[in-house]
Amino acid sequence: MSKAMEKRIHAALHDKRIHDAFQTWEPILKFISMAAGMGIDYEAARGKIHAVKERCINELPQLVEQFKRAAVEAGAQIYEAKTGQDANDYILKVARDNGVKSIVKSTSSLAREIGCREALEKVGLEVTETDVGDWIIQLANEKPMHMTATSCHITIEQVTELLSSASGEKLQPEPQCLLDATRKTLRKAFIRADMGISGANIAVAESGTIVILTNEGNECMVTTMPRLHVALVGIEKLVSTLEDATVILRLLSRANMGMKLPVYISHISGPSIADSSPAALGTTGQGPAELHIVLVDSGRSSLRQSAEFREALYCIKCGACINVCPVFRSLGGQTYGHIYQGGIGTVLTAFLNDFEIASDLASLCMGCKACTAVCPAGIDIPGMITRLRAKIVAEKGLSWTKKMAYRSILCNPGRFDNAVRAAAFPQRPFLDNDGMLRRLPPPFASLTNTISLPPIAYRTLHDRLEDFAKPREAKAKVAFYAGCVCNYVYPELGMDVINILGRYDAQPYFPPGQTCCGAPAFYEGVTDTAVSLAKKNIAALEVENPDYIVTVCPGCAAMLQKEYPRLLGNDLGWKQRAGKVAGKIRDFSQLVMELSPSAGKKAARNVKLTYHDPCHLRRGLGIYREPRQLLEREGYEIVEMEDSDVCCGFGGKTVLEYPELSDSVLQRKLDKIIATGVDTVVTNCTACVLQLRGGLDKRKSLIKVMHSAELMAGENKQLPPKTGD
Amino acid sequence: MATAISDLMEQFQNEAGQAGAIVQNASAESEVTALVLKLAREHMAKHAVMSGSPLANACRLKEGLMEAGIEVIETALKKQPAGPDDAKAVTDKLKRKYLEADMGICEASVGIAETGTLVITGNEGDERLVTILPRIHITLLNVDNLVATMEDAMARLKSGFPAVPGRRLPRYVTYLTGRNTTGDIPGALTARAQGPEQEYVVICSKGIGGG
Repeated sequence: MSKAMEKRIHAALHDKRIHDAFQTWEPILKFISMAAGMGIDYEAARGKIHAVKERCINELPQLVEQFKRAAVEAGAQIYEAKTGQDANDYILKVARDNGVKSIVKSTSSLAREIGCREALEKVGLEVTETDVGDWIIQLANEKPMHMTATSCHITIEQVTELLSSASGEKLQPEPQCLLDATRKTLRKAFIRADMGISGANIAVAESGTIVILTNEGNECMVTTMPRLHVALVGIEKLVSTLEDATVILRLLSRANMGMKLPVYISHISGPSIADSSPAALGTTGQGPAELHIVLVDSGRSSLRQSAEFREALYCIKCGACINVCPVFRSLGGQTYGHIYQGGIGTVLTAFLNDFEIASDLASLCMGCKACTAVCPAGIDIPGMITRLRAKIVAEKGLSWTKKMAYRSILCNPGRFDNAVRAAAFPQRPFLDNDGMLRRLPPPFASLTNTISLPPIAYRTLHDRLEDFAKPREAKAKVAFYAGCVCNYVYPELGMDVINILGRYDAQPYFPPGQTCCGAPAFYEGVTDTAVSLAKKNIAALEVENPDYIVTVCPGCAAMLQKEYPRLLGNDLGWKQRAGKVAGKIRDFSQLVMELSPSAGKKAARNVKLTYHDPCHLRRGLGIYREPRQLLEREGYEIVEMEDSDVCCGFGGKTVLEYPELSDSVLQRKLDKIIATGVDTVVTNCTACVLQLRGGLDKRKSLIKVMHSAELMAGENKQLPPKTGD
Repeated sequence: MATAISDLMEQFQNEAGQAGAIVQNASAESEVTALVLKLAREHMAKHAVMSGSPLANACRLKEGLMEAGIEVIETALKKQPAGPDDAKAVTDKLKRKYLEADMGICEASVGIAETGTLVITGNEGDERLVTILPRIHITLLNVDNLVATMEDAMARLKSGFPAVPGRRLPRYVTYLTGRNTTGDIPGALTARAQGPEQEYVVICSKGIGGG
């Protein structure tokens, strides 16, 4: 979090061009998501890509050598560039040695990464981007707004101005006119070009082949018309065989554009040669006489050495992740500062460009996991972001306030509890009649600008459940892990859970030793605190050997089930204990369904409601059916909202650190809820409840937000007998 | 077998059509020429460039087009008339022909039914220029070269490489699916971009070209 990033966020959120662009692109992004997996087993296909990339990144040094041999045999010239500067210098040398004046270029994110065009233009070479989007942003002198739809934010009026000036004609702001002018002008550039520079989507070691995908066809001209072709290839693009390349091709366009294949895929192995011709015509074909392949390292080898981050090299640059990222959707690609965008972009920028800017970027991710659910290479992007944050904390330390918060307060359950309770007193003067906080004073004012907050409870759930510390004999022994939001802010919800589980002959009890699950520390990168809290919670939860551990916050549940075993992975004893606890974790609705598999459907209530999928429940734990099944079984009719599984914007820290960003995401969610026409939205996450309630309140909406347990408890709030009797 | 081929043809037709190409079938040599002539008339084509195509040779397509008054330049270097010009002059002349051509004709080595893709191969690169520069593009495909999947196509292309010594891939293997498009001009999401206005495929059935 930094002032600079806050400013950038603010600017992006108020940039009408970005807002309009994404508004236009939203249906297209939806189409792409839907079309990407149509008719295929997407999971199987991406499993295959992951396996190919894993193997090939493992074997990378051998593949580089094999590629070099095969490419040279096919007549290409290879240059291995250690750095971006190195690569640019080589291209400059080739240009100088061959009297090159004019260059045409097709899309290459590597070229952007190393500032290739800028380096060439600096010495007076004419470089024309030939992908229409790339050309428009070249003319506009901007950075790409999206990895592939680079100029999506540039209005037709602006495009008209830019193209009129570039073509020398006064053009009309009419697509066909602009396209014709583009074609004419770029064709002239192709004709006068002495050199073509391309990237490569894939490079195949067995045959020295570079594989390039486009829809426009400009690449065919860039790589065939000029007498010199230079291909910039990051070494991570290498695969072993043409079959490996085909595995990637199966998903690359689907994920990128929702198309089975792009219009053109060029496999180029060497420069052109004559098939057989009169001797006088020589041996060169009609394409380039020379093909120079520049294999660029620039941080990739050292990234490969990192067990924690090498997965970033599996990225096939399809852009599927940014298409579903709620942060990207709000801010656009230029906010990411350099070239690579989104969560994976943050990791790539950190290791290939600038670790410093990446620290800022790393704070943007909300951890919603939408990216990793679609990534064709199956990369755990949110996991890498968290590890990146841990690395940043390890290298740069924490601010004084954060050190206090995480290493003094949060890690000490007693101190933490006292601190939260202490905050209950100063809130009094700021409570409205209905108990909500709508206007906190500075320095907390930004917290209530965008959402109304609930008050901190004077009697926490822990206090109210002092008599439920141990289980009694019953069909199912259920430990209740409530989480901080339920404990300190919604203790009535906790009581509802106890109430309802009692009806299913479960014996819910509240292990008093439980404390914060550690998610705030974990996602901040303060791993030591997260580990310490993990141990405390495991110890508290395993004491009575429960059959189940029920949760109402999937953020906590995901920590307990997925992260604790990983955090404690180095210690066999703790790992086993964490594993046992993990196996017992249940979401509230999931548990009710499990305890009552043959319960009948209740009479229809003629009540319509909608259900919001919390990120950590749907994608973190894979649970989305049971909450719906339970609601339907209870007699409710579910009206699905559009984008039910898109993040509410709470994002753990985001709501505190970047409230404007959080609100931007929230507003889109609220629009979708309101569009359903129902008056109740149900969700199984206390943080989502807080966020949605707070946002709807600010909009003065009467729509109720409830956790499933709250809804089910209804008016009949009768507690089971206290335990320990 | 016949069913399998007709299934492949149907699948290819659907996929290529959805991607923006226009697919036609020809069951006789004369039909191929007739189809191409019809397209030439529709598009007022006067100048054509054609890269190496056994099918075109078998159908005497060049002759048929020239008889109708259309200039046909065969683009392979070995087809260039002997003369005083050096390599650069010859290729410069050819370049002008590509740029002025109304119609580019080539043959695909393989067609992939599952995606409606044409696989166009070559070493000189002339087939690529024929594919990308003229105003309209026509690809001939022998039905015997229609395969079901991308993997099948790759197996055909590799044809034993790398195990069989001496085998290598063609310098250029171009997968063409549908018609070039761009979404970068505001308001025109799938407009024709920088390649031909229209993509045509003529699938030549068994018997044509001595197959």
